[in-house]
Order: sequence, then C-alpha cells, then structure tokens
Amino acid sequence: MAEAPKAPTASAEQTTSRPKNRKLDQWIAFWTVPFFFNLFGLVFVPLSWMMPPRSPSSPTPHIVDFMHSHNLLIACVILTLAYGLAPVSNACYLMQVKRMSVSPAFRYSMMIGAITGAIVGMLFPMFCFGLGAFRPGYRPSVLMMLYDFGYLAFIGSLGCFCVMWMAFGLAIILDENKILPKWLGYYTIWQYVTELMAAPVWIAKSGPFAWNGLMTFWFAMTLYVSWQFIVYLCIYKAIKSQPEAELDNAPPEPLPAALETTSRTSA
Amino acid sequence: MNTRGQRILLWTAPPAVALFVLAYLVFPVFSPPLSPTLTPDQVAAFFRGNVTGILGVAILCNLIACSLVPLFAVTAVQISRVATSSTVLTYAYVICVGVGTTAFILADYCWGMAAFRPDRDPQLISLLNDMAWFFFIAPVGTIMVQNLCFALSVYLDDRPEPIFPRWVAHFNVATVGLLAPGAFSILYKSGPLAWNGPLSFTLRLATFAVYIAVMFWALLRAVKHQGDDRVVLA
Repeated sequence: MAEAPKAPTASAEQTTSRPKNRKLDQWIAFWTVPFFFNLFGLVFVPLSWMMPPRSPSSPTPHIVDFMHSHNLLIACVILTLAYGLAPVSNACYLMQVKRMSVSPAFRYSMMIGAITGAIVGMLFPMFCFGLGAFRPGYRPSVLMMLYDFGYLAFIGSLGCFCVMWMAFGLAIILDENKILPKWLGYYTIWQYVTELMAAPVWIAKSGPFAWNGLMTFWFAMTLYVSWQFIVYLCIYKAIKSQPEAELDNAPPEPLPAALETTSRTSA
Repeated sequence: MNTRGQRILLWTAPPAVALFVLAYLVFPVFSPPLSPTLTPDQVAAFFRGNVTGILGVAILCNLIACSLVPLFAVTAVQISRVATSSTVLTYAYVICVGVGTTAFILADYCWGMAAFRPDRDPQLISLLNDMAWFFFIAPVGTIMVQNLCFALSVYLDDRPEPIFPRWVAHFNVATVGLLAPGAFSILYKSGPLAWNGPLSFTLRLATFAVYIAVMFWALLRAVKHQGDDRVVLA
C-alpha cells in the first residue's frame, strides 16, 4: 500500500464516476444567489411591506400599527432561515478574487466586511422589527425606537459594505490574470462611493435624503440593483470561462501543462 | 511589484487613523466621557444639547467603521507566511476581526440612534447610550484573541530571519492584559473600571492607538522584506 501507485488509480476512478460538470459546487453556490435575492424581495415587499420604506415622520399610530403586524414575525422567521445564503453569494465572488494575482488580504477584507454586514445590515434590523411585533404591550415610544433603528440600520449601513466593495474593486483593478473586466473594478468603486450618499439618513426625517427619500432610497437602490446584476453576470462569465485545468479537482494527467496554465498567485 | 496590493491596503490605514482621531476629538460623548452614574433625564438632556456633534461623529464612524480592516487583513496575510502546519491562526484572526468590528458598528449605531430623535422617552435614550457603551468598551474578547493569534504566529516563526521582531509579539501579549479591564466596565458605575474610568476608557483607547501604530510600522517592515517570497494560501 505505497502512496505513489495509489494516487493515479484513485483519480482514474474519479474521472469515470464523476459527471462532466466539474464546477458543480460553484454553480450550486451561484444559483443560490438569485434564489436568495428573490426571497429577500418577496419578504420585504409583498409579505411585510417593510419596503419601500415607510416615512420616518409617519404619525405614531401608523407606526404602532405597522410594528404590530404579524407578518413582520413571519418575515423574521423566513429571513433568519435564509440569511445564511448571503455569505454563500459572497463566497462565490471570493472564489473569483482568489484566482486573481492579488494578495489574499483583499479576500480577507471582503470576508470581514461580509461577516459584519450580515449582522449589522440584516439580522440586527430584522430583529428590531421582529421585537416590536413579538410583544404587543410595548409603549409607542419603544416601538418608535425599534422602527427607527430597524430602518436606519437597514438603509444606513455603509462602512462594512464600503470596505468589501473597495477590496473587490481594487482587486479587479490590480489583477493581472484578467479574471473580471477592468471596467467592473472602476464601476464598483464608483458605485460604492455613490452609495455613500445614503449617509444623511441618520439626520433627515423627510425629503430626498430621509431613509425613504428619492436620493437615499430610490436612486441608491436603482444604482445598487443594476450594479449587483452586472457583477453577477460578470461572475457568471468568469465561472464559465475558468479553464478546467485550473480547477482544484482538475484531472491530473497532463501535469506540466496544467502547471503552465495555472495562473499566477502572488502574496 | 508583488506586494503592491498589500502596500496599497496598508497605506489606507494612516488616513483612516486620522479620521478616527478626528472623530474621537470632536465626539461630545467622549469629552469628558459620559459618566455611567447619570440619570436617564440627564443623559437625555445631554443628547438633546449635542445633537449635531454626536450625529456628525456617528455618521463619520459609520462610514469609516471598517477602514482599519485592510490593516488587519494584511496582518492576516503575514500570519499565514509563518510556515506552521496550517492557516488556522489566519482564519481565527480574520473571524475575530469581523466579529469585533461588528460590535464597534453597533456601538456607533446606538449613539447615532440616541441622537436621531433626542426627544424620545429619556429611559430609551439612556438605554441606547448604555448599549453603545457596552458595545464600545466591553467586548474586548475578540481583539485579545486576535492579538494572541498574531503573537503565537510570531513565536512559532523559526526561520533565521523572522518576519516580525520578537518584541512585537511580546507587545501584542501585553496589549491583551491592558485591554482586558474593559470587560469589567459592566460591573462598575464608578472608579477606574467604570466605562469612563482610567482603566476601561483611557488605558483601553491609548493601548489601541499605540497598538495600531506599532502594527503599522511592523507590517510596513514585514511587507518590505517580503520581496518575492510567494505563498499560495487557502
């Protein structure tokens, strides 16, 4: 039972039994993303009517009514079940960044941003709404606070996404393996800088810069959704065009050739 | 040429630090730090009187909350250059940074929220302020482990010319002891361990500031000496 002769037989066995799609893992991860975003949309819009955001200056009885709606709790349940898929989408992007000729520091920055963002931008605001609906006896002032906190954390979470997309954009620009198009890097940086105009939601209670405003919600959302869609298409192309020889589960036969085509990684 | 990415990420730290220092200097809550003994009415009055300053800093910190992350990411890369059997310390470090940053952002949100509508029930303003202080001062566990991971990797580095000088590891171990008192701020409302006390507030922030400066210097040096040493990292 020596190590050396064992390896080729094992791999030969693999090549016969494994279906031809060696990127199955990446494709499964990839297709969870539209599933997640659609679910996200359904929960926020037709189920709970959290989005489009209600006004920061709506009268207290309206806020109390809204915070008591049972659907908020159902929304909470669905999202707490599904929010683990947000890391999957980020992991999908990370795999492409890993192929780039850039330091892993870019990936680590993105990972940290993703960890932080999932809590402060999703779980925490979701629970603010859920807590309001959970116990109907709270005073209106408590419900008001949860309502404010929920919307502000949802729409006003910027820093964590900023570092994520900064690292993503910079990695694309510095990459020499041409994994993703250069323009996507510049577009990403432009996108997140524009996104920062949502910062005034922490001040304005009405008008275009309130959390339900024309600029901070509608305009920023349009930019974000179109950008996210374009990134997603580019990731699709990148996964599709990744050479088979470069995959971790690539067939080992033409070893020197495989080494040739493997792209550069730098520290 | 190879370490360009790391150097770019490293040099985002000085402007980030400058902004954090600015935020610290103009934040009304820190000058002097609000006492935990204030009554809810006093806290509410304080927030009503300082809306602009508090909101301004809360918004600034919301934007720059993660701006030291690239520095930590470069540290993680350098940890994984120490050829131990695995990259376990790197990943532990990265996850600690993620969790620790989350606490900082939540602290920032709580202060921002308290100033967003300062006329709400004083009990709630006081609760938000307490929550902010809890998140800001108390959760030292992640940065302590983070620094221990780093120190451990330096101690395990047995190459003839180590990536980091040994004293950087000793320093990181020392910060663990200096940051630890912050956790006790939950037990006291006055004295050195209270959240505005010399141990929980002054020592903690000073340690953090010196730590960032030392790490910046050490990382610059490490990245400069890294040269063409390529590592494939999982």
